Amino acid sequence: MRRSISIRYAVRSLRRHTRRTILAILGVGLGCAVCLFMIAWVRGEGRMMLKAAAECGAGHFRVVPAQWPDTRENDFRLADWQRIREVVQATEGGKIVAPHARKEGLLAFGTRVAGVEIVGVDATVEQPANRLVHRVTEGSYLTTGDEGTTVIGRGVAERLDVALDDPLMVTVANAEGEMNSAMLRIVGIAETGSAELDATICHVNLEDVENLTGLPGAGDLTILLDNPKRLEGTVEKLRGELSDDYAVVTWEEIVPELASGVEVDETWTKLTVAIVMIVVFLGIMSAQLAAVLERRREFAVLSALGMKGSRLVGVMVVEGLFLGLAGSILGLVFGLPAAYYAATHGIDFSEIYGTELSMSNILFDPVFKGDFGWWLVPLAFELALSATVLSSLYPAWFAIRTDPAAALRVEH
Amino acid sequence: MNRETLVAADEVTKVYDTGKLEVHALTGVTLEINKGDFMAIVGPSGSGKTTFLNLVGALDVPTSGQLEIMGKDLAAMGKRRRADLRLRSLGFVFQAYNLVPVLTARENVEFVLELQGVGTERAERAMSILEQLGLSEFADRRPNEMSGGQQQRVAVARAVAAHPKLVLADEPTANLDGENAEILLAMMQRLNEEQEITFLFSTHDPRVVNYARRVVTLEDGRVTKDQTRPREN
Repeated sequence: MRRSISIRYAVRSLRRHTRRTILAILGVGLGCAVCLFMIAWVRGEGRMMLKAAAECGAGHFRVVPAQWPDTRENDFRLADWQRIREVVQATEGGKIVAPHARKEGLLAFGTRVAGVEIVGVDATVEQPANRLVHRVTEGSYLTTGDEGTTVIGRGVAERLDVALDDPLMVTVANAEGEMNSAMLRIVGIAETGSAELDATICHVNLEDVENLTGLPGAGDLTILLDNPKRLEGTVEKLRGELSDDYAVVTWEEIVPELASGVEVDETWTKLTVAIVMIVVFLGIMSAQLAAVLERRREFAVLSALGMKGSRLVGVMVVEGLFLGLAGSILGLVFGLPAAYYAATHGIDFSEIYGTELSMSNILFDPVFKGDFGWWLVPLAFELALSATVLSSLYPAWFAIRTDPAAALRVEH
Repeated sequence: MNRETLVAADEVTKVYDTGKLEVHALTGVTLEINKGDFMAIVGPSGSGKTTFLNLVGALDVPTSGQLEIMGKDLAAMGKRRRADLRLRSLGFVFQAYNLVPVLTARENVEFVLELQGVGTERAERAMSILEQLGLSEFADRRPNEMSGGQQQRVAVARAVAAHPKLVLADEPTANLDGENAEILLAMMQRLNEEQEITFLFSTHDPRVVNYARRVVTLEDGRVTKDQTRPREN
């Protein structure tokens, strides 16, 4: 098929000033690469934060008693929680459903006391699901049915000056408001790498919390999905299936400070991407405008020959398209390796933050990694083409306003 | 028998408002251009030749009076319709050739055909026109690879490619030496005689005036003389 003369004209016009065209493509390419890297980075960071939140006890989402979202009190319990667990397990997507019963209490050893949140767990599912107790450096994690035992964090152990097998007295206020105490034997000491988090961990079997508080059952079901992309759909589905006695809350509602941190990051990235693209947009517009001004007489001639404004706009847009295509390819050449490196090797922030990187009881890996995938390719084209095509429109408008009578004027 | 009237100007006036003063470029010009005319408009600089060419070329509209081109009132036409008129019925040859520098001779001719909506056969048609005018050897040359005379001949090929009824040529020989001017004028005369394409020149060049069969003289924006010479056989 023969290429249209208009397209040939547009493409060859780009070759009139090779240096200017190369610089324009370089500008688009670099801008595109920076944007690709930033978008991939913030996506990876967001995913890491979600993973960290999910694996530090918040889960991707939780099923909680209907009153919990308003009060955030730990004294509510899920009615018929085992049936609800079956309902959740029956929904699509591989997942872990970990029941918890939480209660604030005091741990005492001799004259030493530590206030903690005692978390009653199902030991068979908790350890694989919760990164806070992945590393039990002394002893072992809880065993199902082994009542009167506890796993505490290194910080709690140091504060109470206790070791494995030491007995701890735990005191909580029961459902009637009366103080209730019991003895717990330390079977394991966990170390997360964060002193802050290590000073909060106290896991016991679910039955122990039931006995201490007099409140039967679990206070929440914490759910981890295999594929977090299914979060929204699964949550929507469960909200439809469960009665009004239950609420389904996402990690963003459970740890809103982390969610807003992610949102702030995303907003800054969008802003930076927008600024970069505006700079690219203005740069291309300026170059294209200069090209139009140089060709005013030519446009006047074409207009005199009968070329309509729409076709002239088409020529300018085609020029923009070619700049955009070349720019996006260059953007991919620069951006993909950088994004790939950030996704595979990551950037280690341990020198800045140390190895104890935690926020809102969430433990983060100090090596942050970006995201990487084929989605970067269409994104590169989308960014570069939209910037170059849009930036061609003003010069095109300028071009179509050229007075065709100028073609008859002689330049001296 | 009356020949078809392509352009009918009746008391056409064109005034340019420069802000501080009004410039009367044309004053009450009444003139007809008929099919088959090989006509030159002559006159001193500032006499209104280019303004008249602008109006007849549908590049501008008169301030007053009536100007009909191919039977259509120019004043009643919008920009788009005027562009369409130029595309379908008019051809232009410019003093400075004005070929598109990034296109070859054939592509320059082809471009006009593409604008007219001619499909895949446009390359063949462009080549055929260049052959008819003895320009086939320049087909793949860009303007900067041709002499001024060659460029101007290609410009004529471009002007006639779309079979216009009227070709407007603004000082077409001004930048050409005697030999190239002769070749160009002979070529246009042949097109006029063989294909009955009407030519309107604005010129100072006595060589063009010698070729023209009708010579209209403009002075201070008015027609002062309109002479017709019989066709030489």
